[in-house]
Amino acid sequence: MASLQGYVDHRVLLILQDGRAIVGVMAGFDQKSNVVLSDSKERVYSTDEGVEEIPLGLYLVKGDQIVLIGELDEALDQSVDLSTVRAEPLPPIRY
Amino acid sequence: MLPLSLLNAAQNKPMLVELKNGETFNGHLVNCDNFMNITLREVYQTNPEGDRFWKLKECYIRGSTIKYLRVPDPLLDLVKDEQTRAREAGRSARGGPGGGRGRGAPPRGRGAARGGPIRGGRGRGRGG
Repeated sequence: MASLQGYVDHRVLLILQDGRAIVGVMAGFDQKSNVVLSDSKERVYSTDEGVEEIPLGLYLVKGDQIVLIGELDEALDQSVDLSTVRAEPLPPIRY
Repeated sequence: MLPLSLLNAAQNKPMLVELKNGETFNGHLVNCDNFMNITLREVYQTNPEGDRFWKLKECYIRGSTIKYLRVPDPLLDLVKDEQTRAREAGRSARGGPGGGRGRGAPPRGRGAARGGPIRGGRGRGRGG
């Protein structure tokens, strides 16, 4: 059975159903995939400006809103200069 | 740490709740349950567009409508310390009076006095 236990205390990227991308340290989770993220930041992508990082702090995200949880390679992530990244923002999920 | 334990520890703390429809509620947590249904007091409600505001003395939010909750940063360390303290307290409480018994099971076996009826056994008894 897939478990989120391997991600605890790691920096992760969370993608929500509304298309938001949030990075943070996963402090905890439960069976419904509700997640506790500490030191979290929302990354807003745009095609004409660099990535905007909005600090959010301690976040409790409902599991039913989460689409994807990805483990971040912190070294790789630090080496990226966000101001040079251009990307189209993710649209909200449509069923 | 479990999300619900974080929430339970956040009682009386201020927080921001965003619903799936984009409405936000800023208030102090009164109570919560396993479904993440919550009651807040002294609430400032904002519509999804962010241009209309309401002040509510108290409100109840059904857990299934919540998108996320933002809680004060120090709460995480607070809850972790509480959990460690509770674990230490539980460990010392069990280890104290129950100490010296190995696993803590009540004494059994040959050494214990048995309150059974005295029958004619080999080592005991009446003889004859």
